[in-house]
Amino acid sequence: MPNDPWYSCLPSCETLVPCAQGRHVVRWEAGQFRLPEHPDAEAELVLAALGGEKAGCVQLAEAWGRHTSDLSVLAVGPRGPADEISVSWADVEEAAQAGSRGGVAGFRTHSRPWRPPARQLAVPPAAAASHSARQRQADEEMERVRQRRNDMLSLLALGYGFQIRLAGQVAAAHAGSPEAGAPEASVRPALVAAITGRLALVAEQWLGIDPDQVAVSLHRGHGRGQAELTGHGAQRRLQVSLPASWLARVWACGLALTSGHLVVAVDRAGWPDARVLALRVPGIEPVRLDVHAREDGRDGPADAPHWEV
Amino acid sequence: MNREGAETYLRLVAEAELRGPMPPARLQPWAGLSGLTARLASVAQALTAVHALDDETEADILAGFDLAVTVRQPPDRAVSGPLGAAGPRPARLMFPSPGLGARGSRAGAALSVGRPARPAPSGPGPGAGPGPGAGPRPGAGPGPGACGPDRLVPIGLTVPYRDEGLSGEMFLMAFVHTAAGARFTVAWRASGAYDPQLSPVHPGILPVQRFTVTDNRGGRYHLDLTGSRVPEWAGDLSLRPDPPDDISWLDISASEGPVVRVELDPGNAEAVAEPVVSETKLSPGEHLLVMLAERLLTVAPEFPHDLRMQLAAISPGPLHTMATGMGDVIAALEAADVLSPLSPIPGRLAAVCAGMRVSGHGIAAPPTHDLPEPWLSLLAHYQRRKPDTTPVRDGYAAVAAALPELDGVRLALLGLLNTEGGSWLQVLARGLVPESPMGPFGIDHYFPLSVWIRDSGGRWHASRPAGWHRGSGEHVLKLQLVPPLSRSTAWIEVLAAGLSAQVRIRLPLRWGYPS
Repeated sequence: MPNDPWYSCLPSCETLVPCAQGRHVVRWEAGQFRLPEHPDAEAELVLAALGGEKAGCVQLAEAWGRHTSDLSVLAVGPRGPADEISVSWADVEEAAQAGSRGGVAGFRTHSRPWRPPARQLAVPPAAAASHSARQRQADEEMERVRQRRNDMLSLLALGYGFQIRLAGQVAAAHAGSPEAGAPEASVRPALVAAITGRLALVAEQWLGIDPDQVAVSLHRGHGRGQAELTGHGAQRRLQVSLPASWLARVWACGLALTSGHLVVAVDRAGWPDARVLALRVPGIEPVRLDVHAREDGRDGPADAPHWEV
Repeated sequence: MNREGAETYLRLVAEAELRGPMPPARLQPWAGLSGLTARLASVAQALTAVHALDDETEADILAGFDLAVTVRQPPDRAVSGPLGAAGPRPARLMFPSPGLGARGSRAGAALSVGRPARPAPSGPGPGAGPGPGAGPRPGAGPGPGACGPDRLVPIGLTVPYRDEGLSGEMFLMAFVHTAAGARFTVAWRASGAYDPQLSPVHPGILPVQRFTVTDNRGGRYHLDLTGSRVPEWAGDLSLRPDPPDDISWLDISASEGPVVRVELDPGNAEAVAEPVVSETKLSPGEHLLVMLAERLLTVAPEFPHDLRMQLAAISPGPLHTMATGMGDVIAALEAADVLSPLSPIPGRLAAVCAGMRVSGHGIAAPPTHDLPEPWLSLLAHYQRRKPDTTPVRDGYAAVAAALPELDGVRLALLGLLNTEGGSWLQVLARGLVPESPMGPFGIDHYFPLSVWIRDSGGRWHASRPAGWHRGSGEHVLKLQLVPPLSRSTAWIEVLAAGLSAQVRIRLPLRWGYPS
């Protein structure tokens, strides 16, 4: 596996975000979230800690930093260019205000439909204290949920380019490597689901197969994984084994399906030219392809790289 | 148990759901969950119920799914709250963990009275099927002294009362004295029409303040009533202060009524056969599916009477939506290695669905014919042309027995009553984990045992929790019997089953009737 960073096949991208009374540019570049209009963000954070107002850009950078290894980014974020996520800055503002008005709107504890109230049962002080502690715990949990959702909405509002780059960063944080070992057991379910959800849509385009008939397993150790098509009709299955790094190095870079080939690995990373290992059909050995990127957004969302052989 | 397999399966279901037709952005409250979201919720609840998935992971996955759905809503679709508002989490479930039995056993060591359980060959218990022979009693308590309340006495006495123009009778079914206190299980019935001009007291209220209670040492007690919503005129009468452990009788009288002496020596009670314990050897997944089948078999009381009578005749049945996702639940349990692909239980569940005319369940296994005797009995009941045409006459039976511990839960039977057109078994339970009341498909999951009753006519009656209250680590439950019990029943055999063991006990019934 190449040692170059996972994002070597990704160009920088930028967008405008609300900040103070106007809009500022934020940029992603070489794996970093940058604030060109806040050259001394560290100092601004110190001022904010002393009671000053925290700039919107700085809040975004903090949110980005909080979620660069958060696997829920993969569960919420886009599965592909056609998977449209519509979050506007007005939505973000509305959600934040709803939270500040009293917790997370719509969050209710489960009702207990038929439980009758116990009559004439006094509540001892110990029980009341315990109830108070539970309530405090519930409030803290509610605040944590609210913060996480507001963070996530802000990050999604950055647009598709930032969404896939954040997903790549999260995936890379957990992917492991042949040298460092396979992903930990605790993160494997999320990685398998994340790859399955994305590869299923790619496979539908690649082979015309029903996405529900795609099964993914994590390929461990050296090698690039494999794909095999079995069965017919309702029993048809595309069994794919891929390393966890596929999510960051291939999918997040927009390489998954290039000129009708399923890309399983990047052999030589670079922008706008790279060399990949790809399958024309399942069940064969991957071949090396030299690919070239075009970033004109013609076939998808802005900041979604498009590659061709 | 394969926790990684369980979590992976749930996450893959979430992925598949996200690809399908978009469900509403806000999860509906549990009762309203349906379709695609119900599928995800059912799988999540099933996996947490068998402890293949922890609550935190479940919450994380469902929250992620909810947000993923929310941010994919087209702008013109109705959204009931601000973007990103979290929907309610489906209920968390609790099955007793493997350690719970041990905890219950330790607690049980403090008890003083109980019956030893003895192993015996398995019978045709619910879900267990033709099981293995006699063995140790794996789910049962540690032996004498650990399986029952401190003092449990069947009573069967009527105490008449009169209060400001209102008169009636209070029927004492059982007396139980535990660390939580002493109480009678009672039912009452006012006689005559209610006239607010003559009596300020509603006939549904038992005038407990009019009763006098004294013991054989001259001690006097107040009574506190804990009633229930269903059935309405039944509940617990607690004695205040707590009486000594060794009193031999209590005299009870209302202000204008006779004194009724209540003997509290258990030796005076009619002899009851010892409970018989046997192994069931169900896996956690099988146990969950058994409870699911029993949930289907006991769903009839939730339907209006007219519709209930047509349950067997309607196709597709009104239970269709209830069964959505059962196939996914079975696959999830297999992925979590808590259900063997060779288990006969999915086939039996499919047979119950077929018998109840429930379609759309998605169970891959074909229906099997080796159903347990209780299930067959209840299916036969539903398949009669008019299963519930005989009115249930009111009556109260004094029945009291302590059962050996099952999966960390100890039950004591405190009375049986027929009223309001139904039958209820009142039960004292210790060791329950009442974290949440609902499981997948509406299973009352805080009560992880199945309780069946065979009547003296050979018919089986399933039970389902229909209300409870608790205090000091104990729960008093009312188990509604389906179908109701005939008042002509001379005896019952109670079959309580858990994950690893089941217990049977035969009890004579002494009925009392409202005059």
